[in-house]
Amino acid sequence: MSAPVVVQNLSKIFFDEGRGQIRAVDAINFECGEAEVFGLLGANGAGKTTTLRMLSTILVPSSGTATLMGHDVVKNPEGVRKNLGFYSATTALYPRLTARETIDFFARINQYPAERVKERVDYLIERFGLGKYADARVEKLSSGMKQKVSIARTIAHNPSILIFDEPTVGLDVLNALDVQESISELRNEGKTIIFSTHIMSEAERLCDRIAIIHGGHILASGTLAGLRESTDQHYLEDIFVQYVKAAQVAV
Amino acid sequence: MNWSVIRLLYAHELTMLLRARRTVIMAVILPAVMMPLMLYAEKYSNDRRERTLQAATYPYTITGPLTGQIQKAISDARVSLATEQDDDLRQLSQVNFVEMHSVANPRQSLDDNRIQFYIETFSGDEADKLASRSQAPQRNSAASPAERRLKGVPLVNVVYREDRDSSDNAHNRIMSLLRIARRQESRLLLTGHGFPAGAKDVFAVQSSSIATSGQVTGSIVGRFITLFLVMMMFTGGAVAAMDIIAGEKERGTLETLLTTAAGRADIAAAKQLAITSVALVITLIQGLNFVLYIKLKLIPLPNDFDLQLPTGMALTLLVLFIPLAATIASVLLMISAYAKSYKESQMYFFPIYLVGMIPALASVMPGISLRSAIAFVPVANVSVAAREILMGRPDPLMIAVTFGVMVFAAGYLVRSAARLLAREDIISPAHTEPAEFLGGPALFQRRVLRWFALMWVVTFAVATNVPALQSLRGQLLFNELVVMIGACLLMMLMYRLDPREVLSLKPVKPAVWVAVFFAIPAGYITALGVFKVVNVFIPAPQQLLERFSEDLIPKGMPSWELVLYTAVLPAICEELAFRGILLSGLRRKLRPASLIVGIGLIFGIFHVTLYRIAPTAVLGMVLTAIALMTGSVFPGMLLHAGNNAIGVLGGSWFAIEALRWPQFAAATAIFSLSLWIIYRNRTPMPTR
Repeated sequence: MSAPVVVQNLSKIFFDEGRGQIRAVDAINFECGEAEVFGLLGANGAGKTTTLRMLSTILVPSSGTATLMGHDVVKNPEGVRKNLGFYSATTALYPRLTARETIDFFARINQYPAERVKERVDYLIERFGLGKYADARVEKLSSGMKQKVSIARTIAHNPSILIFDEPTVGLDVLNALDVQESISELRNEGKTIIFSTHIMSEAERLCDRIAIIHGGHILASGTLAGLRESTDQHYLEDIFVQYVKAAQVAV
Repeated sequence: MNWSVIRLLYAHELTMLLRARRTVIMAVILPAVMMPLMLYAEKYSNDRRERTLQAATYPYTITGPLTGQIQKAISDARVSLATEQDDDLRQLSQVNFVEMHSVANPRQSLDDNRIQFYIETFSGDEADKLASRSQAPQRNSAASPAERRLKGVPLVNVVYREDRDSSDNAHNRIMSLLRIARRQESRLLLTGHGFPAGAKDVFAVQSSSIATSGQVTGSIVGRFITLFLVMMMFTGGAVAAMDIIAGEKERGTLETLLTTAAGRADIAAAKQLAITSVALVITLIQGLNFVLYIKLKLIPLPNDFDLQLPTGMALTLLVLFIPLAATIASVLLMISAYAKSYKESQMYFFPIYLVGMIPALASVMPGISLRSAIAFVPVANVSVAAREILMGRPDPLMIAVTFGVMVFAAGYLVRSAARLLAREDIISPAHTEPAEFLGGPALFQRRVLRWFALMWVVTFAVATNVPALQSLRGQLLFNELVVMIGACLLMMLMYRLDPREVLSLKPVKPAVWVAVFFAIPAGYITALGVFKVVNVFIPAPQQLLERFSEDLIPKGMPSWELVLYTAVLPAICEELAFRGILLSGLRRKLRPASLIVGIGLIFGIFHVTLYRIAPTAVLGMVLTAIALMTGSVFPGMLLHAGNNAIGVLGGSWFAIEALRWPQFAAATAIFSLSLWIIYRNRTPMPTR
């Protein structure tokens, strides 16, 4: 049986007035298994967000294929999205809904069984400690609470695959730790998680396997131990720099 | 379509809108409260002003040799008006004019506000002298126009200050009184010499309308109701539409929504339904407001206003107005989906709002009936249908056609909005569409319709505004050579197109030529037969038939020239443009059936006169089908030229009126056979 996420030769070409044709993602390949956090580690503009936006069917690949739970991102985008929870700094919440209404809405729109929605909403409110604020409008909540509501709405329909695109950008240390903790818990529940970041410590702490992405290419991928072994470096930051410099020299 | 998702999203959108307190207050509550307050304030201030002016005292004086005569005339007029039944005239007799005697300097008194006006009188001789010395009393441009004075006729001049409300008001009233006084003097003079007292005594004139007051009211309301509703729906729906996609883009919630399991079509449909609902509710609120204002007499209606709206009529109107609201909501949704931000959507709104009102004015144009091509023009059809319904002359068949056209238009626009939601450059504004970047043939396919829209605008603008090009010769030379061929050459140059490929300049099998040769007369006679059949169900007005032949066959032109200008030239140029360039641009984007209908309709619309749109659209469809089957423009050119030649000269070759059903049946069989032969020998061009 194939892995929940299979990416083969996936590419995305953009056309930019100033810069011309840009290969934002260039024939990348990876797989991601159950109960695994797969990290895409790269600098800004490396192609992380474009890759994740193709997996979440917001963008259409220029070539190559990607399947999530067996659904092709081009041929069956709705099947993909039904099994997917997508979280990024750009996916905002509806400010005029309450926390409870937000979770309820996203559970229903993602076709979670109607008769179990209430139970699921109550569970998520309890799980993220939102009880006191459940009926307050999102616009009135603190940024930490909003973060929790965001994660709750991402998993409202209990999807098998979760994509977290730089989830801790703009958060203070404590809120960032909360998010990391939530991701760990979700992995322990058996979710397949793709996580992108440019923060090395986050990748070290959270990811079971890491892919180093640069200029649209995956330069290396494997477990942290494997990467250490192949580069003879201990710190992920050094490993990352070594691969990127080697790629720049090759170019 | 997933209806449970649409229901959920629809409820979600309405919740979002209702919770936007500021929007609700600004768009619904404030106008509802402010409008009656404003109207009431205006009515109150007008009434008060009238009462004040009526109760005021207007001192004045009279100077000159006719003082006594004018004093008596004014006094007699006031006495006679006191018994008038007309309220305005009776009020005129009650105005407090107070004559001041021995005013030394009337001009100074007027300036000092001691009097409101003065009347200077001149005998006939004095007035003549003044006129000859160009010393007629000073007048300003705003004063009432000077009457032509015959020589020897005395002159009465009212001097007042237009910049002072009380003086201006007093002047208006004294002028009315003086005119009435003059009429009475005139009547006395005439009767004194044995003439009839006035025009009324020569013979009486009256008129009788056989229309009931309900029908007259229906006709007046029917002319403007659709325009009024379109305005209300656009402005009401815009409140929701701007926020519903453009606002979501700005807030970042659109991306959140697009990553859910909801399909793009479901999202677009739910948003469209929400806009439709808001547009309808706001329109209803405004409509009820107006009814309330009328009941409160804040808006005065004529005495004979009698709007009759039985249940059946109201329901029929509702059946048409709901798809009208849906179509307008779809247009607003498109604007909102296309705009990258809330501000940008506001910028697009106003010009589209103005354009949207143009078809709604169709009901104001005289002589347009729903039983015409107008039934197929969205919004314009509802406008004309509403007028006919309110006049008590509904046409059930054409109302059904109108409903179908509106539902189709709304559906098509929702689908287009859903497509916009899938476009990456719309979702992520930083991304440019590949075609825009690469240019060449890829961009040509995206731009070809814009080119044809521009060509249509140029054709239409020139036909209506340049008198030098309004002759058949001038118009055809300009349209065919400058617009059609000129634009084709420009497109080929700009998008680096291969002329042979893009113009479909390809030889065809000999059998196709034979088939086309027979298809020309057979097709023409078949079309006449179809027209006869259609005429049984939808009789074409006589005016249409006359205009059609007038437009096509100008008098006094030699046959060879007629054939050159109306058959050969259009056949070559239009086939290259429509079945060459346009078909090449669209054929990879649309399915064959859509190509045939779409290009046929565009071809019809280019034949500017309303009366020619439908027949030329059908001809365009046949020609597009042949071009698709043969992959070439040449057979279409022959058929087009032959068809037009028979159109202008056919009457002199055979008696069209003498044709009977057997001939029509035979022609239809030959035409079908010809098309079958073309199909059997097809060398089709690649399509989608």
